[in-house]
Amino acid sequence: MSEGIEELRLALGRERYLADEGLATVLFLALRLRRPLLVEGEPGVGKTELAKAVAAATGARLLRLQCYEGIDLHSALYDWDYPRQLLHLRAGEPGELYSERFLLQRPLLEALRSDPERPTVLLIDELDRADDEFEAFLLEFLSDFQITIPEIGVIEAATPPVVIITSNRTRELHEALKRRCLYHWIEHPDLAREIAIARARLPEAPAALVSQVCAFVQELRWLDLYRLPGVGETLDWTQSLDVLGRDGLDAATADKTLGALVKTREDLERIRGGGLQELIDRAAERRGPPAA
Amino acid sequence: MSDKAPQHVVCDAAVALGRGLRELGLRTTVDAEIVLCRALAELDLRDRTSVYWAARCTMARHPDDVPLFDAVFARFWEGRTPVLRETGAEQGESDPRVPGPQHGGDSLPQFRTDGRSSPPLDGQASKASQEIPAAGAHEVEERGRKDFQGVLAAYSPLEVHGRPEALEYAEQELAALRRVAEDLRRAVPERRSRRRQPTTGSGRLDMRATVRDALRTDGETLRPSYSGPSRRPRRLLVVCDVSGSMERYSRALLGALEAVVGSGLRAETFVFATQLTRVTGPLHGHDAKRALAEARAAVADWSGGTRIGPSLAAFNRAYARRGFARGAIVIVISDGWDRDDPRQLAREVQRLQLQARRVVWINPRPTELGGQPLAMGMRAALPYIDDYLPGIDTRAMVELGRVLAGVGAGRPDRRQRPRATTT
Repeated sequence: MSEGIEELRLALGRERYLADEGLATVLFLALRLRRPLLVEGEPGVGKTELAKAVAAATGARLLRLQCYEGIDLHSALYDWDYPRQLLHLRAGEPGELYSERFLLQRPLLEALRSDPERPTVLLIDELDRADDEFEAFLLEFLSDFQITIPEIGVIEAATPPVVIITSNRTRELHEALKRRCLYHWIEHPDLAREIAIARARLPEAPAALVSQVCAFVQELRWLDLYRLPGVGETLDWTQSLDVLGRDGLDAATADKTLGALVKTREDLERIRGGGLQELIDRAAERRGPPAA
Repeated sequence: MSDKAPQHVVCDAAVALGRGLRELGLRTTVDAEIVLCRALAELDLRDRTSVYWAARCTMARHPDDVPLFDAVFARFWEGRTPVLRETGAEQGESDPRVPGPQHGGDSLPQFRTDGRSSPPLDGQASKASQEIPAAGAHEVEERGRKDFQGVLAAYSPLEVHGRPEALEYAEQELAALRRVAEDLRRAVPERRSRRRQPTTGSGRLDMRATVRDALRTDGETLRPSYSGPSRRPRRLLVVCDVSGSMERYSRALLGALEAVVGSGLRAETFVFATQLTRVTGPLHGHDAKRALAEARAAVADWSGGTRIGPSLAAFNRAYARRGFARGAIVIVISDGWDRDDPRQLAREVQRLQLQARRVVWINPRPTELGGQPLAMGMRAALPYIDDYLPGIDTRAMVELGRVLAGVGAGRPDRRQRPRATTT
């Protein structure tokens, strides 16, 4: 592995984000080549956390644009300050109505105009929730790091921000957008990595508990569940058990606290129906995937 | 930005890899190759992992592309032409020729541990284009698709991969399809959108429009403008049974599916017999005939046995989990003849109903006894279906639009029902 990549991985590690080699390499390239990074993956694999960790590791400011259905130009890029414009009009003051003076910055514009001394990480979260027309607004921004405001002109970035886009793949993003990005698919972490993540995030939890919980969760991911628990749920559950003063996993406590880990009734029934003790035992001797 | 200029051999390699992937139907583009060249200039070329991830994040933009990408990359790294042959790796293994770096993008340098490309063995060093048999490449593509796209395959000992019947639509039928698409577009229920549209005097004050208007009257606001939420059609999910027992309808059904996708609605289409296949992509083209042929090619188990429960389970896990079905109108088209456990079917339909706005089940081939459907699966699923429409002649296709118009926009009146047994 190149030095730069290892360095980046360590820097993320200091922010308690443990990236695997693939993610570190892709991220390294995104930073070096100044390309936006599109990350996709199951809910709970740490897509949003990644952006936060990158911002913290590089000492950058994090700007977050949460996408939702119906998000438009004026809540993402820029808007005009209409009340002030109206007042201005009524007062009959001289001066252009559509000028910098009345321009309101939204996250994307803010990312372009940020302080050159302090880099910016722009997180465009859950882009698949926005409707596909919105992706078209992003194309100019993503390829040239500039925005065209018809009344003013082109606004370019002095220092291009680091852009991280996440998607849950509820719909396929447009090829034109993907072409402008580097692409990475984040998988659920393997056992060793998940233990390492839990240790880093919850240093106060007993080590035995952490490894038992992680093995149990890994075991669950092989079950046929509607909603697989993510790393976030692993941490929640570990914390719950820790708060209850447990230093190991037992069936009775697991049964009472399972709601922190599994959040669908059908899945809960399935896990309980299969026998918690058996799952715990299987997790204890877990090495590879169990035979289906 | 880095100023490192990529070496020539590196560029040749990136181009060769891109070509290899394209040959197998992965949509890589020239700009992806350029980015890869730049990326490789930043990395240690002796390190397979780094090169792998650089190539993957630029060339494979879809998780389903990864298996294919891996296969091609493995061969690329070993210095072979990155094209899978019909017999797979065995044949390529004995290929002693090493493509050398020569002119154009045809040659493929090797990344051996020394990081330098190896020299051509002789003057006849093969070019990539010679390695790719024109006819064979197509077969390979077919194979590649079959192997890598049916990821959701559920194994069944009884699965019969039948040959798709000849599929030709007459001009008349295509015209009928277009009419259906138009009907559908009108009939699909709507939902409130977050987008806003101008209204007359009700809703919220629209400052933007008000200022624009005021500009025309020297800053005087004569009449404020208002806006309210607009309405958009709901997402449509069609899950269609194409098993043996549905064979006589399948041609018409696929036509209807195509109409749904082509109608400009937000629609997703799936077909299943023993395994679930998403066919939205193939159906999305403009050429209906070709789209239908492609969709058929994508379905491995056309007219085989039926496994409704496992197919819906696959849907619930792979797609509904990510929110595909949320607030959608789900249309299942099947006769309900399932050879698996009816309890599983009931469970999965219930799960689907929890997420969807409405679950409509169209049964083109109802068999009834005393008002109750005879098919076990159908009987089990019935309590969890909002609209059960038996005996609709889907061959007439036009019915589908009428059905949807009848579904209405409201939430169906669902009573608490005893839940399906989960044992």
